[in-house]
Amino acid sequence: MDVRAIDLSATSGRSRLHGSAPVTKLIAFGLVLAGVVVQQNVLIVTAAALLLAALAIGSRLPLRQVFGLAAYPGVFAVVFALAAAPDVLTGALFVMRAMSAALAAIVLVFVTPYPQLFAPLQSVLPEIVGDAMLMTYRSLFLLGEKFEHLRLAIRLRSGLSHGQPVLAAQASAAAMGSLVLYALDLSQREYDVLRLRGYEGGLRVSRQRAANPAFDASLLLAAFALFAIAAVYRLAGPALTPYSWLPAAVALLVLAITSLWRLVSR
Amino acid sequence: MSHIHIPDGVLPLWLVAAGWAGALILLWYAARRSRAAEVRRKVPLLGVVAALVLVSMSTEIVPIAYHVNLTVVAGVLLGPWLGAIAAFIVVLILALLGHGGVTVIGLNTLMIAAEMALGWGLFRLFVRLLGTARVRWAAAVSTVLTLAVTTTLLVGIVALGGGAATGRETGALDPNSLTFANPFGGGVVAVNTLRGEAPSPATAAPAPLSVGRFAAVVYTLGPIGWVLEALVTAAVLGYAARVRPQLVFGGALSALSRRPAGDEGVE
Repeated sequence: MDVRAIDLSATSGRSRLHGSAPVTKLIAFGLVLAGVVVQQNVLIVTAAALLLAALAIGSRLPLRQVFGLAAYPGVFAVVFALAAAPDVLTGALFVMRAMSAALAAIVLVFVTPYPQLFAPLQSVLPEIVGDAMLMTYRSLFLLGEKFEHLRLAIRLRSGLSHGQPVLAAQASAAAMGSLVLYALDLSQREYDVLRLRGYEGGLRVSRQRAANPAFDASLLLAAFALFAIAAVYRLAGPALTPYSWLPAAVALLVLAITSLWRLVSR
Repeated sequence: MSHIHIPDGVLPLWLVAAGWAGALILLWYAARRSRAAEVRRKVPLLGVVAALVLVSMSTEIVPIAYHVNLTVVAGVLLGPWLGAIAAFIVVLILALLGHGGVTVIGLNTLMIAAEMALGWGLFRLFVRLLGTARVRWAAAVSTVLTLAVTTTLLVGIVALGGGAATGRETGALDPNSLTFANPFGGGVVAVNTLRGEAPSPATAAPAPLSVGRFAAVVYTLGPIGWVLEALVTAAVLGYAARVRPQLVFGGALSALSRRPAGDEGVE
């Protein structure tokens, strides 16, 4: 989980999707997620995944990280499918649903800075929860970096050598223990800073406006269309099932065109 | 078991909605209960402990699809109410990173909050029974028991969900209907959608989840994770108890009593 790569993409990206209002992106994400969740047809879910992949490619997101993160829940979904799915197609549906929903969430975080994602939630959640979310985001960078340094230090001192597993386990546990103590010292320092700044609860984030309202409208329309197609297939499933290859084929075409455009305009 | 690695759309809507409702009520109540302690101390503490759990969860052991959670450590440090808030934040951020499912945020919050609260309670009980000198044993035993209980809770949730969201009652794709029919040649709108079509025998019978097989897999792989988690938790809490005992036996808030320089007399 490379939080720095996500943050860099979210804050420095220049695509139209990056410039959209966070609320628009959240609503679009909700519609796509609802479409994926209600769908029982693996080809329609695949179509949604292909369109999300096209969106990631078109927005010039770091593809290795995006698809790597999207594949991770696929591993757990495969375990779940092997354990619980009654047949292969249902198992494939579980895996595709997991990966499509994850891809939607990952595209969202790669094009929206975390504070902007948390800002709408702050208004509906208790104050302490909203503030703690922002502090978690800040601490995640500091602790992640510290953890990497600790692992490197242990490795350099041969604490993680395969020949001495007991020594490696002891070194890793000590590193985790040090990280816990460092985390609590960090919380004390942050407390000092908040105290000096006169914080009494209620961290506020200024809301980002849409750079191009027309694009925001078309994004919402596209997300709604995807949800509508999923809903129609769900409601009229038996009648439309023989034609479920069509949305997947159209999505594949969109993905091919977007990939070609990205290659040509590099 | 920490959080549920169940994909979105597998559990039925009523269960997902109940999970969200339960989590929001718990969050609201936990926020109210946490008012007793000073907000400026709680917010950074919540932030770092939630971040700590997230960092530990990002280190996965791929062959058995397991990662360290540190939820019992977080429960011991935060207590049950602040732990519930930390659980929600952890689950929300994990879901945004595609890890755990967005629709199951509510159920996952309840699972992790239960794990933190149970871990906190059992750890305190075992420390009282075994003494502070055997903090590693107390940590290990309470972790194994906590994970065993929450794994059972997970199996219970899947059993409650049953086959409701996985059935083919809506005519989902199956081998009998996997065709490449031309919608324009046959007239999909006129012929099928408006007049309707009798479902084929293959689509009529919903295929339920195999809860027994799921439980067998979870209870086979789970104990490996419980032991790993217990060893890590015992080592971490043992180390912390040796260096700063007040932190482990009194909770993180009691250990944070320092005032910034020049501000010692300010209340």
